[in-house]
Amino acid sequence: MAAGTESNAGYSVRNARTGEEIGLAMQRLCLSGRVLGAGARLLARHVFQSSESRPVEVVYAFMLPRDAALRRFTIRGEGFTAHSELRPAEEAVKAYEEGMERGALSTLARQYGDGLINLTVGNIRPGETVTVTLEILAGVEARDDGFRFRFPFTLAPSYHARMRAIETGPGEGEMELPEDEFGDVILPKFRADAEGLHAVGFDLRVMGDYGEVASVSHGLRVRMEEGGLRVSLTAEGDVPNRDLVLDARRGEPRAEVLGGRCADGKLHFVALAPSVCFGTPAGEARKVVFVLDRSGSMQGSPIEQARKAIEACLGALSGEDEFGLIAFDNRTEVFAERLLEASKSNRERARAYLETIDARGGTELARAVEKAAGLAGAGADLLVLTDGQVFGTEKIVARAREAGVRLHVLGIGSASQDRFLAQLARETGGVSRFMTPRERVDLPAVDLFASIGRPVASDVRVSGTNVAPQPAKFLFAGTPLVVYGEGQSLKIEWTGGELELPVADGGRQMGETARLLRGARLITDETEAGKLKELSLAYGLASREMSLVAVVNREGDRAGEAAVTRVVAVGMPRDTAFGAYFQPAAMAAAPMPGAVGRPSVRLGSLSFRRAEPRGVMLRAVFSRDQLADKLPADQLMELAGRMEGDGGMPGRDKDERLLETVRAVLAFLKEGHSTKKGAFRVHVQRLVAFLERQGGTRDVVAKVIDAAREGRVIPGEWLDGAVTWKEVEAAVTL
Amino acid sequence: MKPSSEYTLAELAEQSQTPARTIRFYIARGLLEGPARAGRGAFYTDAHLERIARIRKLQGEGRMLAEIAVELGGGGGEAALPAPEAWWQYEVSSDVKVMVRDGAGPWRMRLIRTAVAELTGRLRASEPEEGGNDGGGNRE
Repeated sequence: MAAGTESNAGYSVRNARTGEEIGLAMQRLCLSGRVLGAGARLLARHVFQSSESRPVEVVYAFMLPRDAALRRFTIRGEGFTAHSELRPAEEAVKAYEEGMERGALSTLARQYGDGLINLTVGNIRPGETVTVTLEILAGVEARDDGFRFRFPFTLAPSYHARMRAIETGPGEGEMELPEDEFGDVILPKFRADAEGLHAVGFDLRVMGDYGEVASVSHGLRVRMEEGGLRVSLTAEGDVPNRDLVLDARRGEPRAEVLGGRCADGKLHFVALAPSVCFGTPAGEARKVVFVLDRSGSMQGSPIEQARKAIEACLGALSGEDEFGLIAFDNRTEVFAERLLEASKSNRERARAYLETIDARGGTELARAVEKAAGLAGAGADLLVLTDGQVFGTEKIVARAREAGVRLHVLGIGSASQDRFLAQLARETGGVSRFMTPRERVDLPAVDLFASIGRPVASDVRVSGTNVAPQPAKFLFAGTPLVVYGEGQSLKIEWTGGELELPVADGGRQMGETARLLRGARLITDETEAGKLKELSLAYGLASREMSLVAVVNREGDRAGEAAVTRVVAVGMPRDTAFGAYFQPAAMAAAPMPGAVGRPSVRLGSLSFRRAEPRGVMLRAVFSRDQLADKLPADQLMELAGRMEGDGGMPGRDKDERLLETVRAVLAFLKEGHSTKKGAFRVHVQRLVAFLERQGGTRDVVAKVIDAAREGRVIPGEWLDGAVTWKEVEAAVTL
Repeated sequence: MKPSSEYTLAELAEQSQTPARTIRFYIARGLLEGPARAGRGAFYTDAHLERIARIRKLQGEGRMLAEIAVELGGGGGEAALPAPEAWWQYEVSSDVKVMVRDGAGPWRMRLIRTAVAELTGRLRASEPEEGGNDGGGNRE
């Protein structure tokens, strides 16, 4: 994509007064660095260039990834290179403004609430090219067999009870946040069409023995390199309308300790202990409340995906489980005022209720969590499905913590609220997954749901090392325990078990990375100003209290020359409807010449279309022939949804139910789901329990149960049509 | 009228309790005139100070900068005129019109539109047949 000034296909930036076209102030954003199983050490290179006739001040706003902090930046231009200083925010602003007054090239990276950053580069001269390279420490979504890494290439417009949003021109929106909460933060303009904006790209090294790296967001070029894989964008550049999402997987989960001796002489480490090291979850009855975000920003694909995900999870509930369902926007609506037993009729009622849920309104998440906590009682588990597009997240996290429930979060979005949602889950003792609307959400939802309410380890304690922050007390299947600390070894204890992990010296760079990742995580979790400042100083990382600043005096700088401020626009996150946030308001009703002083009246003629009844597609019952055209995962989802409250499949009589249940187990097994493994493991457990109760003495049923426990595949076409006992017997005998 | 003072940007920022970067942003947005003199020795005046106070007041009332820019756009004598307001008008039935002030947030607008749609539906459903008894009575 050409991100230069010569061609801004379909869109141009113009001076509001003169109508003259303005060249893009930021040309390119390129991400490089190393990504490990425990976090990433990144370099974000921003190239600024002005084609204006006056000095410019460019403001670029972005959101920090999860557990992230800025470490430093380097600024380069013709004949100079300078490095940032870490200073208290007010001092940094003063230094920046003094530099601006002198006409010097001044750069300030300041963090605001919610991890919002304003990178401001002032006094870029006409025609001058300036490159600012920011070093960022960031966390990853760790999983037993790998990780998901997200980096925001755009910023999601988000809901706040006191925000203001407006469509200022065709396909261009602005948003403002209350100053008493967000200070002087400047948000970008949001463009419905990101074409013509700055180009984004990446060239990253994924370190470790990951056999597979893939992306659901961008086309990847992957090359083998010593120590890992090098991944870059296939195209020359892309548009800033979505996060970069990278998934790295290794064959089998294994414990990993990344560490090394630092300049302070200490061995710093980050340890990842996969959940499989801890045991298997107990199959107790569960109390779960589904909390569905139906805010305006969820309209379209995200709400459809979220509905499907809940429907899939309803299929995993057993007759002993109890569940609740809440939908929220700026209001909270409950499906029932108390928890209901997960009987077939209640689950069907819940499905019917889901079909009536559409997207509307704001995102009052904290209220919904409090309502759910009231419904379920302290210690219950909540599964929250949301895009997380909300500002003022620190308060929400605090309120959720006070509610005394565990929040498990399934995020659905193209632009990162990963930082917030990861924090929300972690701070309440739950786990989170963040998906994009363009990938299957139902399977990860089922997978996440399988572990909810059933920790693989409780009362987890870590001893023998200087550990901070304290790791999670409960551990859930699929998500490893992450421990940051110092020392030679690490001992993890939990109810019924213990594990010791040695810490090897992987060199100073690894040790320094581990130390910085810990600092970034501690800063993310801290809210108190004094402690934030201490942490910033201890780890050399920026925070809300400490900013990064650099002032470069160049030959020919002219004092007092007023720079013109330009804010770098970003693209609306792909799959978030522009109209969900931005609608024409007073701007569109600007008084025409001569109309000043009297009300202007818009004669709108709205035609109200009767809403089509929802859920026709969702309610559809697939015949076997239709099922045959679907993907195996869709067919499994359909099977899971049809399970009865007693764990068996439906049928006209006991024998048919038994046969259909056997067929379902074989179908799940064939696709890699057993009683221990796979997203549908809870479904398989329930099917097997049904067979044990109802199977009687049939030898073939016993063999199928054994296969399900061993994860052994029985060849056959189990998904595509009716089977007979004879066919099953022949297959299991082979 | 008191003689106009001269302020550097830093002084203007301090006097107006507004960050210097925000003041530059206002200028770039066309909300505020640039300094009274360009280059070395650039300065700002009481007019800038007053304008900033006005912008801040309007922001405090919930206006966005884009709206304020339109409102203050004319400057000069127009500033003395009352602020214009834009309204949407919906004809929900032949005898009922609903006026909605423009500028509400998207969710508020959606809520209002839903309410208007409901009202439209209800009125249409109870619309009297042509020639029916539709006159007089104590109707609201």
